[in-house]
Amino acid sequence: MTTCPDIQSRLSEFADGAVTDIERAAIERHLASCPACRDLLQDLHRIRRAAATLGPVAPPDHVWLQVAGQARLDRPDAPARATRIARTAAIGQWAGLAAALVLVTIGAHYFLNTVPAPETTPGNASATPSVEVIAEELGLAMQHYEKAITELEALAKSNSDALDAQMAETLRQNILTVNTAIDESRSALAQNPGSEPARESLFEALRRKVVVLQATVNLMNEMRKGNQTGAVEAAAAFSKKS
Amino acid sequence: MEGHADLALAERCRHDAPGAFEQLYRQHAPRLFGLACRLVGRTEAEDLLQEIFLAAHRKMALYKGESSLGTWLFRLATNQCLDYLRSKRARLALLTDSMDREPGAPAAGAGAVVGVVDRLDLERALAALPPGCRAVFVLHDIEGCEHREIADALGVSDGTSKSQLHKARLRLRALLSAPALAPGRHS
Repeated sequence: MTTCPDIQSRLSEFADGAVTDIERAAIERHLASCPACRDLLQDLHRIRRAAATLGPVAPPDHVWLQVAGQARLDRPDAPARATRIARTAAIGQWAGLAAALVLVTIGAHYFLNTVPAPETTPGNASATPSVEVIAEELGLAMQHYEKAITELEALAKSNSDALDAQMAETLRQNILTVNTAIDESRSALAQNPGSEPARESLFEALRRKVVVLQATVNLMNEMRKGNQTGAVEAAAAFSKKS
Repeated sequence: MEGHADLALAERCRHDAPGAFEQLYRQHAPRLFGLACRLVGRTEAEDLLQEIFLAAHRKMALYKGESSLGTWLFRLATNQCLDYLRSKRARLALLTDSMDREPGAPAAGAGAVVGVVDRLDLERALAALPPGCRAVFVLHDIEGCEHREIADALGVSDGTSKSQLHKARLRLRALLSAPALAPGRHS
């Protein structure tokens, strides 16, 4: 084991201190007279050291809200806890909220499932949707989406007393961020309506907004201890239907 | 002491004690989210983090305190991420089956990293690695797992794990020495 390729194939394990004493001695002899292998070893050490500094990453706030809401839905006794008496007028609002979320999802799925990606293979032009078709489908999906958002926002507003100020602000910031992403994606799509990446980007942004709105629902669930069991049941029922 | 605290927290989670599951989440989510981001990408990582904690919520009764809660959750998260890669794209399975047949890593002498490796550059270069060798690098060099543990998780031999780690480091070296990712050249 004296050539550079031989030595280099063992340098990662050498850097990790995972070679035998005999190997280590041979590698060290080679390194003493080979600048290229010394450079490589130095770089491997740098990469290892840098990797060790890559630490935790704080998840966005809304992830916890979703986890908490889903965990509540997961409880085997959650539906059983719901009482008939608890289904007051608030349930109608929750049902509307859940229905609106379903609409949002349907809107996104409808678009994703009905608008194929532009086909670039020559000779298969008949499978390629025209720009007009894509724009029309996109418009339809957006109508679903916007209608649902309008309903959701109205319902969320009417339930705003369920949120404390800090949480409401966190959710508002999340909505603002995702709205910016939606606007940017729309703008990119307007410039290039046939662009698959632009469409994907838009629907990813729409998906994020759905996620935030779902988090809002879950949070309201958390806050409304009195009515939440009925809401959970209503949301679960809509979820099954969707 | 930590073991008692973990068992107590797990017990409180099992009984849905107020604040218990949130405490578990706040303690461990950042590490697990970092792991998921590096293994599957940030967008998917958010969904996976939810799945990881929901799986933890469902399986809490299985936690008996043999390891710390952090280790237990880390294993759960690693398996969730690897399962996701396998099922969603079948890429990892493909790669783990063919890890040893992968195109060779860049020549070891093909460029050197200049100066200190910037963390952002490294994160970006990491995202450009194939999923198989990226998983090995993340688990070994970032998370500190042993090759034996990585081999078990990926379903490969120890030797494959070692060779993939070497390839990952060489690829990172090449990426980090390329002009677009060279240190100090952020756009």
